[in-house]
Amino acid sequence: MRQVVCKTSDVNPGEMQEARFGELPIVLCRTLEGKFYAFSNRCLHQGASLADGMLCGAPVPTDTPGEYRYEREGQILRCPWHGREFDVVNGGQMLADPARCLPRFQIEIEDDRVVVVR
Amino acid sequence: MSKALMLEKPKGIRLVDTDIHERVQYADLLPYLEDPWRRYILDCEWKQEKHLPYTQPAIAGLDRADARLSDGRPAGSDLDFMKQQLLDSGGHEFGILTGALDPSPSSMNGWYEMGAALASAYNDWQIEHWLERDERLYGSVHIAAKDVQTAVREIHRVGSHPKMVQVLLPLDDTLWGDPYYHPIFEAAVQHRLAVGMHHNEPPVYYGKFPRYFIEWHTMIPTAHMMQVTNLVFNGVFEKFPALKVLMIEGGFTFAPFLMRKMDEQYRHLRHEVPWIKRMPSEIIRNHIRFTTQPMDEMNRKDFMRVIEGLESEDMICFSTDYPHWDYDSPIRALPSLDFPLKEKIYSTNAKAMYEKLPGGGRQ
Ligand code: FES
Repeated sequence: MRQVVCKTSDVNPGEMQEARFGELPIVLCRTLEGKFYAFSNRCLHQGASLADGMLCGAPVPTDTPGEYRYEREGQILRCPWHGREFDVVNGGQMLADPARCLPRFQIEIEDDRVVVVR
Repeated sequence: MSKALMLEKPKGIRLVDTDIHERVQYADLLPYLEDPWRRYILDCEWKQEKHLPYTQPAIAGLDRADARLSDGRPAGSDLDFMKQQLLDSGGHEFGILTGALDPSPSSMNGWYEMGAALASAYNDWQIEHWLERDERLYGSVHIAAKDVQTAVREIHRVGSHPKMVQVLLPLDDTLWGDPYYHPIFEAAVQHRLAVGMHHNEPPVYYGKFPRYFIEWHTMIPTAHMMQVTNLVFNGVFEKFPALKVLMIEGGFTFAPFLMRKMDEQYRHLRHEVPWIKRMPSEIIRNHIRFTTQPMDEMNRKDFMRVIEGLESEDMICFSTDYPHWDYDSPIRALPSLDFPLKEKIYSTNAKAMYEKLPGGGRQ
């Protein structure tokens, strides 16, 4: 199945938008570099609408207690409820538990259209 | 707006939600305060002192991000929005209001005169703006509990309101089982009110705060365990046999461990508390209830193991903790359960405890 969900100009870099792929609620994330990613819009945990969350960065893992490094701006999707972090550019992996991933969808850009493919 | 449209109704059940935080702002309370209390807020910008050094757990701080209001008011402060996002979509039959943390008259660490004035104002505001505006909502009597005489007066003043179902006590560094506080339990029982205990900012590490929120939040159940142990061994339930206590927002998975531990201690040390004539686990089973939230992710087998440990299906009451960041979804937080257990947890256990709910009291 292929479906045009929006135009590229509808989502600014660093932002996200809710959409429908057939019946399925999805969330489109656009990184600061302009690349699109699509995931199920229901959080793995208790089903919150992820589009109501935040596309942001995160304090990345460090080796020393007390050391914080905030990086990866625009690549981490945080849930609006309990704040679980999902790695948009690495298959929607949960940062704290990488074996768990958000269901994801392929994206193809055709001219100025964002096409979701599954 | 997607956030308002997500349906969260558990099938075949009309929900009793035992922890909903309505939110007041100081300006809302001004019409209910007399001078000088009003003037301290207006002229001196009085605010309750808070201690928690970390309020950043989620992207909207301590609130669910999608519960914030578009006009900038804090989550939980608008009844219509709460109806739309919670009461209607969750299939609520009843919801019990438990207040919010700021201001929270019951947890003031001094100036109890101000606390008592604030508690009365809060109760009047709650009745007028929430309890009398939605038939599903029931309330908690706020008191400045450390000043026992005024606290009891306040319970007598508003406790007979038909929609007040419990007295709220904060879990902080006070052990409420001390005989000094017993008049509060006595007044609650007189008005057929349960006592709800909700942590506020308990200093969970030996009276201090740990370095990180994740430590503090993990250890909140220890504050609940201390209170349960204290209430039982101080003989509160022997003195007030009709009393019911709900431990709110500490979860319930610690209870089987605690009950077993207390029974064992009782076998050794009964001589110190000769007024206790039943096994502590039996006292807890008869008098204390626990909210589900915050739920750990559990499958049905894990969940049923806890029920077996409790040796009772009657002790757990569902709660969402709306609109806070660690809200639990009525349809997603618990594993799938069979009737009648499901109905007990989502509804009838709370009704049995809250005598004043329609259909409430021992069936
Ligand atoms: S629903 Fe997303 S973290 Fe809980």
